[in-house]
Formats: sequence, C-alpha cells, structure tokens
Amino acid sequence: MRNIGKVLFVSLIALFLIGGTSSCNSKKKMLKQEYEMKLQQAKDDLNAIINDQSDLTLDQQIARIEEISNGDFNDPELNELIEYAKLYVKLAEEEKLKEERRAEEERLRMEELNNIPKTSLEDYFGKIAGASSISSANSLINEALELFASPDAIVLIRINSFGDYDRPTTAVEYLNYLKDSKEAKMRIYEAKYDDNNKITELELIKK
Amino acid sequence: MKRIFLAVLMGVFMLASTEVKAQDISPERKQAIDSLALEKVRDLSKYIKIVGSKDTPWSEANRVIERVEELFAPDAEIGVSSLSSQKINYYSVRKYLERLMRLNYDKVEIEWYNIEYVSDLQRQPDGTYVGVITIFQTFKGYDKEGRLVYKDTTKKDITIYVKRKETQIGGRLIGFWDVLLGDMRVKETTH
Repeated sequence: MRNIGKVLFVSLIALFLIGGTSSCNSKKKMLKQEYEMKLQQAKDDLNAIINDQSDLTLDQQIARIEEISNGDFNDPELNELIEYAKLYVKLAEEEKLKEERRAEEERLRMEELNNIPKTSLEDYFGKIAGASSISSANSLINEALELFASPDAIVLIRINSFGDYDRPTTAVEYLNYLKDSKEAKMRIYEAKYDDNNKITELELIKK
Repeated sequence: MKRIFLAVLMGVFMLASTEVKAQDISPERKQAIDSLALEKVRDLSKYIKIVGSKDTPWSEANRVIERVEELFAPDAEIGVSSLSSQKINYYSVRKYLERLMRLNYDKVEIEWYNIEYVSDLQRQPDGTYVGVITIFQTFKGYDKEGRLVYKDTTKKDITIYVKRKETQIGGRLIGFWDVLLGDMRVKETTH
C-alpha cells in the first residue's frame, strides 16, 4: 500500500515534469515565431524607408527606425538596414530643410517685390510721351526697358479688331516713338512673359 | 443648248464676283488702313520738326533720320522749294534731312497742317493700295537775335503705298499693313 502511494507520487512528479517541459517548448516556439515576425516586419519597414516607398511621414520614419534600433534584435542584415535607413532619413531631413529655406526665401522675395511701388508699363508710356526733356524721356525709356526681356522684344500694334496690324516694331523703337510723337495713344492688349517675368512680346491696341 | 450657255455664263459671273469679293476689304478695315497711313504722315511731320530743330542733340537727330528713312520707299525723293527761286530740287530722304539739320539759321520752326487725302487709297492690280496725301508746311528761319529772316508756306503731295504683308512671330503668322511713303512733291510755295 505504501508502495502504491510512492508509485503514485513519482508518477505525479513525472507527469508534472513532462507537462512542464512540453509547455516550455511551445512557449519558446511561440516566442521564436513572434520574434521572426517582428524581425521581418522591421526589415520590411526599413526597406520601404530606404526605397522611398514608406507611407510614413519623415518624423514617423525617424521614430520607427529608433523603435527598431531599440528592439532586442540581433540580426546583422537588420543592423545594416538600420544604418542605411538612418542615412536615408538624414538626407531626406536635409533636403526638407533646404526646401523650407528656399520657400521662405521666395516668400520674403515676393513680399519685398510687392512692397516696392511699381510703375506699370502703361504708366511709362504716358510718362515718356509727356517727358519735359529728351534726357528725362531717355532715362524713363531705360527704366521701362527693364520690364522687357530684351530691347528688341517684339511689339505688335493692332490697328483694328479684325487682326490687322501695323508693321511690327521693337520695344526700344516703340518707346522712342512715344518720345518723338509725344503721344501715348495705345494700351496693352496682351503681353507675353518669360520665366523672369520680363516681357518677350507685347501687343498694343488703340485706347 | 441656250439653257446650258446661260448656266455657264452665270457660273463665270459668280466666280468673277467671288474673286472681287476676296480682294475687297470691309469699309471698317479700309478706314483703319486710311488712318494708319495718315498717322504715318503725321509722324513724319513730327520727325521733320525734331531733325530741323537746333535744340535736338546730334545723336537724337541721327536716330530720327533712320526712323524717317524706314518710313519711305527706298528710292523716294523729297522736293525743296524756295521763294527766291522757281526751281524745285529733289533729294533723297537722307540728303534732305541732313540738309535740314545744317540749315544756316539759329532757330528753325516747321509746322505741318491740313494733312488730308487728296486721292483716296485705291487698290492696284498687284494688291498695293496707292493714294495721295497733301500737307501744308510753314517754314520759319530765325537769326541769332531771334528775328524772323525767312518764312514760306509750301503745299506738298505725298504718295502713299500700303501693302499687306505677313511675318512669322513666335510661331504665329501675323498679317500687317506696310505703309511706305513715296515721293514728296512740291505743289506750290507762297509767302
């Protein structure tokens, strides 16, 4: 009877030990699977960042790289990807800063331009025609020419609304004509500009 | 047979009238061309005044001479008369203007007035419109004391040629009317 008790006790111990080992093994297996999944996800995320295919913002990308770096991974390939990703976001950050600086400079330039009181080309027409002397007319002509891409920019003069024109002339010749004739009878019908906002072609029509 | 002949005749007539219509321009367009030519003569009057003025710097006068040359047909001549002579001399445009610049007065005043068509622009078979504009010019020459030493009034006729031309600008075909002044003939000179 005493032996039966011993046998039962030993069996119980054995069962417990066997059960315990089996549970530990599956737990380890589960942990390993989870690790593999997290590792793969980390690699995928880093590859997406490096290949510029990530949906995350730059700040989110930085946070994700940080999170992966602090993760308890021990994978040489992942470590290499982390370095690449860090380099990528560093460059992207620099580019973003440059872009912001450019935008700010452009904003300031536009603000400055808008604050400068400008004389419109039509104002120049009137001023040149009404200039009190040849020298003042000439300096106004030089100022007005600054609005053109070139003194030889084409000037077309419409003589009616049927598509008839006078002989084509140039900016410098037309401005001198205003000085000689002392009359500004034309207004701007259309103007074409280049990338520097300078007039490349001007079309005039009678006021 | 008679019907066929009539139909052919009608066809020829219709074709001919289409041709005439294609050559004609509307009265509104014609008026714009008339005004353009008249404007060129008015411009000439201003240019002559600038070149003749003793106050005009030499460089400005030369620039204006070039503009005036562009206004005229290449072989055009300008007549010059004087109260002291019956003879009328004709000069090339440049020669006329250079003489005008060098006139031996201390001050010169030139005024043009009554600028108008004496012969309307008429379409020629080659498509050129030709007309005649008359002008009256008063010339006054002063000495260094400011005394008027010479004055005359001359009636002059200027032949006008207007031709439709085309040019390519920025990939666009622009049709323009090229106005050229022809000979400027002296009709009469009075005090």
